[in-house]
Amino acid sequence: MPLLEVNNLRKIYTTRFGGNPVQALSNVSFSIEKGEYIAIMGESGSGKTTLLNILAALDKPTGGEILLNGNNISLINEKEISAFRRDNLGFVFQDFNLLDTFSIQDNIFLPLVLAGKSFDEMNDKLKHIAKKLEISDILLKFPYEISGGQKQRTAIARALITNPQLILADEPTGALDSRATEGLLKIFSEINDEGQTILMVTHSTKAASHAKRVLFIRDGEVFHQIYKGTNSNEEMYQKISDTLTMIATGGGRNE
Amino acid sequence: MNKLFYPKLAINNIKKNSKMYIPYILTCIGTIMMFYNMYFLVLAKDIGSLSEKESLRTLLFLGTVVTGIFSVIFLFYTNSFLIKNRKKEFGLFNILGMEKKHVASIMFFETLFISILSILTGILAGILFSKLMILFLFRIINFEVTFGFEIPIKAVCYTLLLFVGIFTLNLGYNIFQVYISKPVELLKGSNIGEKEPKTKWILTIIGTICLGSGYYIALTTESPIAAINIFFVAVVLVMIGTYCLFTAGSVAVLKVLRNNKKYYYKSKHFISVSGMIYRMKQNAVGLSNICILSTAVIIMISTTISMYIGMEDVLRTRYPRNIIVEDTDISDEQAVQLDNIIEKQTSMLDVNIMNVSRYRSISIAAMQNDDSNFISAESSSYISKNMSMLLFVTIDEYNKMENKNLSLSSDEALLYVASGDIPSNIISFNNFKLSIKERLDSLYSEKRNLVALTNSYFVVVDSIETINKIYDELMIEDGDMGELSYYYGFDVNADKDVQIHLVSSLQNAINNSGINAYAEGAESSRSTFLSIYGGLFFLGLFLGFLFIMATVLIIYYKQIAEGYDDKERFEIMQKVGMSHGEIKKSIQSQILTVFFMPLVAAVIHLAFAFKVITKLLLLLNLSNIPLFAICAVITIFVFTIFYAIVYALTARTYYKIVS
Repeated sequence: MPLLEVNNLRKIYTTRFGGNPVQALSNVSFSIEKGEYIAIMGESGSGKTTLLNILAALDKPTGGEILLNGNNISLINEKEISAFRRDNLGFVFQDFNLLDTFSIQDNIFLPLVLAGKSFDEMNDKLKHIAKKLEISDILLKFPYEISGGQKQRTAIARALITNPQLILADEPTGALDSRATEGLLKIFSEINDEGQTILMVTHSTKAASHAKRVLFIRDGEVFHQIYKGTNSNEEMYQKISDTLTMIATGGGRNE
Repeated sequence: MNKLFYPKLAINNIKKNSKMYIPYILTCIGTIMMFYNMYFLVLAKDIGSLSEKESLRTLLFLGTVVTGIFSVIFLFYTNSFLIKNRKKEFGLFNILGMEKKHVASIMFFETLFISILSILTGILAGILFSKLMILFLFRIINFEVTFGFEIPIKAVCYTLLLFVGIFTLNLGYNIFQVYISKPVELLKGSNIGEKEPKTKWILTIIGTICLGSGYYIALTTESPIAAINIFFVAVVLVMIGTYCLFTAGSVAVLKVLRNNKKYYYKSKHFISVSGMIYRMKQNAVGLSNICILSTAVIIMISTTISMYIGMEDVLRTRYPRNIIVEDTDISDEQAVQLDNIIEKQTSMLDVNIMNVSRYRSISIAAMQNDDSNFISAESSSYISKNMSMLLFVTIDEYNKMENKNLSLSSDEALLYVASGDIPSNIISFNNFKLSIKERLDSLYSEKRNLVALTNSYFVVVDSIETINKIYDELMIEDGDMGELSYYYGFDVNADKDVQIHLVSSLQNAINNSGINAYAEGAESSRSTFLSIYGGLFFLGLFLGFLFIMATVLIIYYKQIAEGYDDKERFEIMQKVGMSHGEIKKSIQSQILTVFFMPLVAAVIHLAFAFKVITKLLLLLNLSNIPLFAICAVITIFVFTIFYAIVYALTARTYYKIVS
């Protein structure tokens, strides 16, 4: 059974004063197996972010279903949805979304504290993760005192600390310089090698080239997909950019 | 460019920021109206027809000055808050190609429109309400109002002058703010400076010491006369303490809580404690302002109300008998003459004298330096709590007034303790000693209030000579004791007008006879008391209302500022896995704490000030402590309800911003 199954997902936004409804997702279907590392690419307005929000249970689909481990997440009621999100999903955002009132350590602890874990338990988990992400030295600092790369690693640590089934990353490299991007992608590959399933939405060909599979979305539909297979990152990069060129120039299906 | 470009832009800006500007304009109108009304009352012709116009006018003028000063501070404070929140907007104008002078001219037009609108409306509303105000004041002081309507030009002019001045000051400040800042900084505006506040231990300690010593002074002051001087010191100390503890103390406490891992890492405390640290940093000054204003409102309203309600008590304390004739230095013959005058005048008006209390005595102020020893009082020692008043009466006089038949030898005395304590059975006046033969537990005539201000003792000795000896012992300067004083108080069974008439005819007769005595009556003084206590009551309500208005506005702006700050945090928490309900609960508990803390602190301040306030009220002849306590409790209750309503209303605006 796949870890995540998305079937015929639709999302239509209607504006308040009876304006034209906007179709953000028209018919999206795909599935993710456990341990996969998937990148979703597409131009601005193609529906990437809408898809991610629906996967994150932050938004409700107009039609279709999402099954996580066979459970339809659209059917989870409002009360349990936050706990569900906390226990099953980890988030990494473009703008990090760290709370500036918390130290780095407390930012990472946040989901665990909400889940009611004890300090000792949290601390054990943190030590392990902080070492892996090389943020052990900055744990007591505050978000405004550290670099973008460090912030993003903090956000990853916060996503990982709950051992989620799936990590959802929204343009994780968007606000990083090239070195920090390199570091982040390395971390993603490493945690994926350890068995963590990752779903990443990105603009960046470079980021996508690290994924094992890349889905292309256009006009609210999955338009195309590429498997990395045994290709190197460079070969994958080439393949992706060819596909993007083709999409941009309006070519037909690459099959 | 179109001439009307800037005025139009200015109007648009005000409309766009209506959430902030409407309350600001309303407050301006309110303040202007109140200032006009207060000044109107000072000048009003109707007040001129009162018998106590001078004291009432002084009181009202004081109110005008306070209102004026308060307006300046308060409107300046509000304006600076507004401009801080609009920096981003001005940064945007800058980047879009406007020069600073253009921004300045937009600001000029904004200020122009706001000031014209609020000054015109304010004065107009003030004029409309002025009759109501004077009706209300006269109702309080029980005085008939004449018909007619007046608009003192002077009041209008001064109101115009003051508020044009305030608006100009604000405009100057705003333009200065824009000129000293760089566009990029303007764009970031209020978002910069999100550093974690440092724990300021020194400030915390200073605050604790100030508050502690303020409280200590308030609790340990025994003498009402000392209370006058020391009350001010205590108020200043408590104010400093409040500011320090709200700014530094709160952060220190929260950080201690944060360092307690077991407490901190609980989902209930985790978000609140860390959030509160930042909230306190941004709000501390505003909250201390609210706290001090609330304390002022509660104290002002509860004291003035209790004085107004307790006026009958005050009159009774001040005038134990309906009519009192008194002279401090009078010979025996003159005293007899005085008796005759009283008898003649009362019989002429055909009223019966009852409950007569009359005696010849002398009062000497002395220091009670240990249990039973009195020494001479120096003038500087009047504020000491050991200050005592000794009233000496001869045994003959005592027997006459109490209708008894006692005798004393020259080293014996009878003692009645009105307030204070003399534990030993020997009283000494420097070197002169008397043994107490009997302690009197009541004194028929002694309803006259020696009680209030200092320790007071009523000492009966055998003869004038003994009094003379004591006088010599206790007086620093040499000099003859002179004659004794004479007190003659009595009740009459006549109505108000007759009593007033009797007092004036008594005074006339006394003056004609060449005696220095003066006659007073409770009824004759009632209108004086009413106009002063009623005036104070009116002032208390008026200023209380003004302060409440200020408190409301500060709370409102704080809520809005909080809302914009919390919006982002709210979103992040939701993504990390907090439910809408959890976030709402957490934020609500933080905001509740933040906004009700000043009120709680104000009540604590009042609790500590209670004793010293009762002492001050004693000076004003109000000894009815339960009455004051009830008034204080009711005031707090009403104020709390009011505060809660304001909170609930502004909280709605807050939630609208956040979600």
